[in-house]
Amino acid sequence: MTTSPTVRALYVHVPYCHTICGYCDFYSEVLDTRAAPRLVRALTAELRAQRSRCRLEPLTIFVGGGTPTTLAPDLLARLLAVLAEPPLGAELEFTVEANPATVSPQVADALASAGVNRVSIGAQSFDPAELRVLERIHRPEQVAQTVRHARAAGIDNINLDLIFAVPGQSLDSWRRSLDAALELEPDHLSCYGLTFEPGTPLHEQMKGGRIRPADPELEADMYEATVATLAAAGLRQYEISNFARPGRECRHNLVYWHNEPYLGIGPSASGFVGGVRYKNVPDTAEYVRCLDEGRSPRAQQETLSPEQRARESVMLELRLVEGIDRRRFAQRFGHDPAELFGDQVRRHAELGLLEIGPATLRLTRRGMLVADSVITDFL
Amino acid sequence: MKQSLIRNFSIVAHIDHGKSTLADRLLQISGAVAKRDMKEQLLDSMDLERERGITIKASAVTIDMEIDGVTYMFNLIDTPGHVDFHYEVDRALAACDGALLVVDATQGVQAQTVANAYAAINNDLAIVPVVNKIDLPGATPEDAAIEIEHVLGISVDQVQFVSAKTGEGIPELIRSIAAHMPPPKGDPAGPLQALVFDSEYDDYRGVICYLRLVNGTIRKGQKILLMGRGRTYVCTELGKFRPKMTPCEQLAAGETGYMVAAIKTLQDVTVGDTVTDAVAPAPSALPGYEPPKQMVFCDFFPSSGEAFEELRDALARLSLNDASFTYQPQHSDALGFGFRCGFLGLLHMDIVQERLERECGVDVVQTAPSVTYEVQMTDGDVIRIDAAGDLPEGTKVAELREPWIDMQIITPAEAVGSIMQLAEQRRGIFKKQEYLSPTRVMMTYEFPFNEILYDFYDKLKSMTRGYGTMDYHVIGYRASDLVKLDILVNGKPVDALATILHRSSAERRGRRIIQRLREEIDRHLFEIPLQAAIGSKVIARETIKALRKNVTAKCYGGDVTRKRKLLEKQKEGKKRMKTVGNVDIPQKAFMTVLEPEE
Repeated sequence: MTTSPTVRALYVHVPYCHTICGYCDFYSEVLDTRAAPRLVRALTAELRAQRSRCRLEPLTIFVGGGTPTTLAPDLLARLLAVLAEPPLGAELEFTVEANPATVSPQVADALASAGVNRVSIGAQSFDPAELRVLERIHRPEQVAQTVRHARAAGIDNINLDLIFAVPGQSLDSWRRSLDAALELEPDHLSCYGLTFEPGTPLHEQMKGGRIRPADPELEADMYEATVATLAAAGLRQYEISNFARPGRECRHNLVYWHNEPYLGIGPSASGFVGGVRYKNVPDTAEYVRCLDEGRSPRAQQETLSPEQRARESVMLELRLVEGIDRRRFAQRFGHDPAELFGDQVRRHAELGLLEIGPATLRLTRRGMLVADSVITDFL
Repeated sequence: MKQSLIRNFSIVAHIDHGKSTLADRLLQISGAVAKRDMKEQLLDSMDLERERGITIKASAVTIDMEIDGVTYMFNLIDTPGHVDFHYEVDRALAACDGALLVVDATQGVQAQTVANAYAAINNDLAIVPVVNKIDLPGATPEDAAIEIEHVLGISVDQVQFVSAKTGEGIPELIRSIAAHMPPPKGDPAGPLQALVFDSEYDDYRGVICYLRLVNGTIRKGQKILLMGRGRTYVCTELGKFRPKMTPCEQLAAGETGYMVAAIKTLQDVTVGDTVTDAVAPAPSALPGYEPPKQMVFCDFFPSSGEAFEELRDALARLSLNDASFTYQPQHSDALGFGFRCGFLGLLHMDIVQERLERECGVDVVQTAPSVTYEVQMTDGDVIRIDAAGDLPEGTKVAELREPWIDMQIITPAEAVGSIMQLAEQRRGIFKKQEYLSPTRVMMTYEFPFNEILYDFYDKLKSMTRGYGTMDYHVIGYRASDLVKLDILVNGKPVDALATILHRSSAERRGRRIIQRLREEIDRHLFEIPLQAAIGSKVIARETIKALRKNVTAKCYGGDVTRKRKLLEKQKEGKKRMKTVGNVDIPQKAFMTVLEPEE
């Protein structure tokens, strides 16, 4: 392609897990050790093919899943080495997702020596009963162990994922999980309200009446407690569900929220390159076949009009605490968002959900809690 | 055909007592329809009728019936079986000289049996009582015959016992018709007087008038005058239903048949009008009918605003073959443009709505039904209103009057207590109670019509485990302590939810409506007060709390498209709702006021 855009972010999907958790709706399957080398070969092939189409100079690499660390250490090292092929941007942020029971000192060393400098650990909860509801296989104390292994290997940028509004969870129990997480002094926390995604076993259980979702009022209380507790601990909220020490915000995810291009490879991975959103086939065997036979693994593709891009930008940037930079938005789309969406902006400002600043447009604290309702009006 | 060999009669029966099966059997036995052409319930031509087992439009069929070597002409005039269609029953009976009163041998006399029998008696018809379905295992024909004698005073000896299904007893019945029903009177040579007892619309021929010749003879090509309207036409086609339309050259006094005369719309013909010769008219018209009175009103709105014109065309199309419902444009703040429609009764309303959806493919939102009220103004005027929004200001109103009905309920004896309770809740006035048999009771009540609009029939059915039946007719207007109940959403009255009702029911109904609304309306970004009010006085209130949390926890690269589509879908859903005072009200909420109370 002649007008190949420069892409600064790379996402790689490793679909394997040891077991599949009941709430998870990411594409994943139980690790197949014999098929895994073929997957790594296919990922390599897709990356090479993409590099020839667009200029890839990543400032951020994010290897997610699934659980990438379920791969055998040598296979993982081989994959990471391919990803880290130059040209790399200076100050690369290189994240790998890991689950607490999957990072041995050997795996941690393999990550570090491949250039990985950030680990995102799926802690979810420090309460054994809640972990069981979530069908997580690890024990609470394994989180600390994983953090220790990563730090010992020299990886000093640590994120922990936590889930609140778990059926049966109390506000106190959530506070205890937050405290336990803070004790490990993470650089970054992602705190998600549990979502019952259609098609997941958890959703089935809810439909069957076997578990009851948390009361929305309690969930809102938990959310507010989270924001306050983490702020006091020096972890500033910067996105609806994300908190970080200053300077430790996840730069990879900021690419998504600023609606900038990224390349995604792997089964079910999505990408956004040259105004086109695409998604790969969510089936590992089929994905491998596509690349073996030299076919594109893309299953869906949508070219966005400038207006759609503008609306998506609003949808994504309003998730950020700093909100929409009005001038940058105007440069990109030709209109000041406060004028382009005058009615919606005024209505939500009157309700105290949106704040119109001279330079920014952003959700208030209360607005953050009902972001979907506000954003829907902009679509 | 000699007049003495003609028999004009109807079959009247309670719903499902086998009227149509009997008609079909008579057709088949006369040879009018070959067996292979027999469709069940031949006379009911609309799908909906067949499905619901009820006859909506009257039909008229001519059959030749041979009895002991003599050929009689039977003109069988079909009648609707349901309470809403008394009016059509009456006009069909006016074209008859006799009636077969059919009673199901397993069910006995029912409310509409009584109503129909009285209608026939009032029209001076000779009645031949028939107990049908004697072949069924649970049949108790003797009991049914005793009930007929008991309630209607017709001797058991006159009852014919038949099974329309198997044909048993039918030959005897046919003899009895010839023997006991009088032939028509009237002079075939006299000045032409033909009663238009029904009409229907045909896409190709225009209006088809159903005629009963009372005096004189009508011929093809004759110039005729519709006496009521004073308009002349040329009779281009005459014929009989055998049961297909079969043209003939003339119809003489005593006969029934149809006439085509290039009449363009049903509105050009008044059913009950008299057809006479345009050159030598009869000195007077036949006694006509009261025009049908629409007693029940509701609004139909298209479920999406764009479908307004579709709805208008569909209503126009339906009114071509049902002149008994009315419609006029209506506007609601909440529901936009629609139509105010008037019906003969509740079933009629249901049927029109179903036909709109089924035959015309138009989805409608229907508002709560209302009756017509009389308003005595302080300046002496009397106005009639059927919508709460039309109620004049309180200071100008001297008195409000509502329609009352006389109702017969026939029920198993064990349900009498609960029916009395229900009647009391609905302001019923007990008139009398008679035992038809040791286990069955006929109760007579007077009710304000609006008290039975919603769920009375459903309740009666469930209290009597399906065995209870009812029939009613309007008896007049009475002064009443009526109020307008407003429903306010976020401080704004929702016109489509306003109703007129008795002061004593206002609080209960108001509370129920806003409770239902609270369940139907989603939480919004702000708190929504719901109020039921009479004038400025709030009698019930509820609050829908503001939505506190509605946020997708995770939104990363892979979620963008899916999330956008999800939110777009939600937005589409919102667009289909009706917005009042910034509140999105789902269409379903407008129907909740129609749902039966617990």
